[in-house]
Amino acid sequence: MNLSLVDPFVLAQDYPDNLTEKLRSGHATCLRFNHTGDYLASGRVDGTVVIFDIETNGVARKLQGHTRQIQSLSWSRDGRYLLTSSQDWKCILWDLKDGSRVRTVRFEAPVYIAELHPFNHLLFVASLFEDQPVLVDISSPNPIKRIIPSRTLRPQPTNGEEVDPAVAAKQAAQDAKHSTCVTIFTAFGNHIIAGTSKGWINIIETETCTTIHSMRLCNGVVILARLANNGRDLLVNSSDRVIRTVLMPDLSQLGIDFEPSAIKLQVEHKFQDVVNRLSWNHVTFSSTGEFVTATTFMNPDIYVWERSHGSLVKILEGPREELGVVEWHPSRPMVVACGLESGCIYTWSIISPQKWSALAPDFGEVEENVEYVEREDEFDVHPAEQVHQRRLDLEDEEPDVITLDRAENTIDAEQTGVFSVPVLLDISDSESGEDIIAVGPGTMRRRSPGDGDADKDSKSGANGVARGAGRNRRR
Amino acid sequence: MDSARPRTRRRESRDETPVKSSSDELAAGPGVDETKLRRGSWTKQKSFTPKRPKHHERQYRESESSDELAVDADEYWRGSRNRRSPSPINRHADSSSNDQSHGGSDEDRMSNGDEALAPAREDMSDRSSTPVPSVEAPLKPVQLNYKEKFVLRGHLRGVAAVQFSPDCSMIASGGADAAVKVWDTLTGRLIYTFEGHLAGISTLAWSPDGQWIASGSDDKTIRFWNVNTGRAHTKIFEGHHNYVYQIAFAPKGNILVSGSYDEAVFVWDVRRARVIRSLPAHSDPVAGIDVVHDGTLIVSCALDGLVRVWDTHSGQCLKTLVHEDNPPATCVKFSPNGKYILAWTLDGCVRMWNYVESRVIKTFQGHVNKKYSLSGCFGYYGSPEVKYNPPLAFAVSGSEDGAILCWDIVSKNILQRIEGHTDVVSSVHTGKLNGKRMIVSCGLDKTVRVWEETPENQDRNGSDASPIQVGTEITIQNGAAINGDDDGDNEMTDDPPEPSTETTPALTEDVTMT
Repeated sequence: MNLSLVDPFVLAQDYPDNLTEKLRSGHATCLRFNHTGDYLASGRVDGTVVIFDIETNGVARKLQGHTRQIQSLSWSRDGRYLLTSSQDWKCILWDLKDGSRVRTVRFEAPVYIAELHPFNHLLFVASLFEDQPVLVDISSPNPIKRIIPSRTLRPQPTNGEEVDPAVAAKQAAQDAKHSTCVTIFTAFGNHIIAGTSKGWINIIETETCTTIHSMRLCNGVVILARLANNGRDLLVNSSDRVIRTVLMPDLSQLGIDFEPSAIKLQVEHKFQDVVNRLSWNHVTFSSTGEFVTATTFMNPDIYVWERSHGSLVKILEGPREELGVVEWHPSRPMVVACGLESGCIYTWSIISPQKWSALAPDFGEVEENVEYVEREDEFDVHPAEQVHQRRLDLEDEEPDVITLDRAENTIDAEQTGVFSVPVLLDISDSESGEDIIAVGPGTMRRRSPGDGDADKDSKSGANGVARGAGRNRRR
Repeated sequence: MDSARPRTRRRESRDETPVKSSSDELAAGPGVDETKLRRGSWTKQKSFTPKRPKHHERQYRESESSDELAVDADEYWRGSRNRRSPSPINRHADSSSNDQSHGGSDEDRMSNGDEALAPAREDMSDRSSTPVPSVEAPLKPVQLNYKEKFVLRGHLRGVAAVQFSPDCSMIASGGADAAVKVWDTLTGRLIYTFEGHLAGISTLAWSPDGQWIASGSDDKTIRFWNVNTGRAHTKIFEGHHNYVYQIAFAPKGNILVSGSYDEAVFVWDVRRARVIRSLPAHSDPVAGIDVVHDGTLIVSCALDGLVRVWDTHSGQCLKTLVHEDNPPATCVKFSPNGKYILAWTLDGCVRMWNYVESRVIKTFQGHVNKKYSLSGCFGYYGSPEVKYNPPLAFAVSGSEDGAILCWDIVSKNILQRIEGHTDVVSSVHTGKLNGKRMIVSCGLDKTVRVWEETPENQDRNGSDASPIQVGTEITIQNGAAINGDDDGDNEMTDDPPEPSTETTPALTEDVTMT
């Protein structure tokens, strides 16, 4: 509703420039916005998941169930469910309506990354530490896990041609070395994009769990792969210190007029720092996919590149610590990143200056001097009643005060039934009792968000102990 | 229903209240004078600082002692009863004269129609002369037919604010007796009385999930009351330096905005009960506030006559609207689609602004509004089966002569003048329950009244009979006086309404308009 009034120059700027906010609740290690951008989920070192309300910068909900550091977060399309994966070998699907756990899935290994199917919140893929990635169906209380192949697709031997046993053995040995580090769904969820430890990208059909395409992207390990909102751009961060953007074919056309053999992945840009040979902690696309953002290893800066020319447009500065996970708000020019050392969540956005002409209605802002042209009857004196009556007579429009603008509502119509996290007023419900903040090396203190700075120091060094004490005090 | 706060603390705060208020009085004194000076050009009648209804019983602000508001409430009330004799006969007389006025509006409509045949239909957005749709357009109803359904008694003093719950199943009202009362819309039964405020309540708002009622009071605090449990929220929203004049929730319920006599607008984080942002809003008491349907804009108005539109997210002023005559603005409301702002001013006008273009597009007149901060809202009318373009809507406001006025948005005609209250009608709200459109109103006559739309032609049996009187034990104590006033219609003259059986479920489209 405010678009018609906001300065168009402010609206035109599409990447942030200033550090504006600092959110804090424990030591955050991973972040993810929901699809509307109203909430930010943050996973903490102690296994707690905190949902921030972006409008108030307050905690909307806390989810407690994991016991070790959170590895990844994934929102369902409607924003009601959140899948979390953790180093405690578990994935939990949360219902944010009441904060309950819908499903808990145990694995045989710590989980790297788990991602929900874009349309089905009861299906997810998870890549595991030193184990085969799995596709997990949690529609029933007993999860059904299907193993996703890690080996690359090789050209099938043509009929009649014998496969040399030596070659076959070598290939098998190579295949065994492949392990999948990243698995994500494509835009429609029909396919899974997997990145392997040998730098290969596999495209796997979700239904059959068979690899339909493989491609060698780089020599290093694929650390992270992400799709842009349009589903056609892939962003890959690998350990060879290069960030690549890859143009994806339209996989939804597969089987219609497009054969798997015709799939071709094309590298569009390679972003790297040739001088310092920086390596990148975490990467993300901007909301429109126009920009690529990355946090740097051993460096407090966030790099922003634009994609049309592949040039660096901005280095976001601010905090004095190395940053980990970085996320871009799905609709606003706003970037969040969490500090590795403090676990603080930093926010960069645009600070627009107050337009003074908005405060004084009878003034306007002009670029240069303008000669004033008097209207014919501007300073004519009329009796007040006449003026009033004339004014009333002019009010002959037919305003529609009810119908909403369709254009504005397209987003809402698209995402039918957007869920909003219930507003909990009672602290006991929201579990936002105490937070532990490090105030110096080895010293921690407790903070309760409701009381502002009325903090109480506590000597407990271990989070677990302090949290336990806090719980007791609440009772 | 007592507040859940510990007793000791309450006593403490009570003890310190007189001190605080007296210091405020000193502080407020020069401010008011200054206001008067500044508004020297404003005519005599406007030189009052507009007052929320409950102020008329409070004596600690010397600056107003000269006006009639400071007269003892009971005396004032009795006096007003003498001035206007609200006997049923008189009311009927009023309504018959009303019919005549409807006839007049009928003619207006006709002439409008003639005029409209000439110009071709142009785009809605540009300023063409009245483009009344051509012949096939469905006829608009020329009047509304709201009938009194309940008179809810229980408040001990004037009622300042009333609002339907989001699903319209309940009504919350709050007034000078510092109590918030919750009523059942279907039966008129009193469900809860929330007490805890230390001074009169000026404003209240339902949270969008319908669980909480927030109330803003002259004790400078905003309190939350849970309708499900009947308990007060443990956190009190403290921070304003003076009376809280009006509050409004953002549509998600996570943000509350409040306008105060201390000239500031606060944006609160509801969860933490903490101010997120203080808008340097006005140079005079902020009397009205509202949030647009998608939560991105806040509108505020103040006695300095300015209406300001703010960006919720950045806290910046995006627009300032001011009418040439600069009359003090006392209440603002966004239209349901958020494109227009309705602003009440103390020159007896309600203006509808196109705030993007800074233009007044409609001026509604006919009510009396000289010193009170009246509030109203938008409402729908017309048969739900017929498609009108634009959809039919009306603006509704109370009046200081005890009437409620409904204006057609397009023609500015008075669709209905609802009579019944015997004193200033301070707040009106529209709603829809089980397919029936309703209006709830409250006034300084200590009553809350519920009005239900009845089909025009269908003369309901006993619809002319007096409405159902719903009393509480308190009413019974005062029964004699009140009944004498209202012609002894305290008995149930009508069957308890069962709208659920009368209406089709298909029509249950529980729309609340604020």
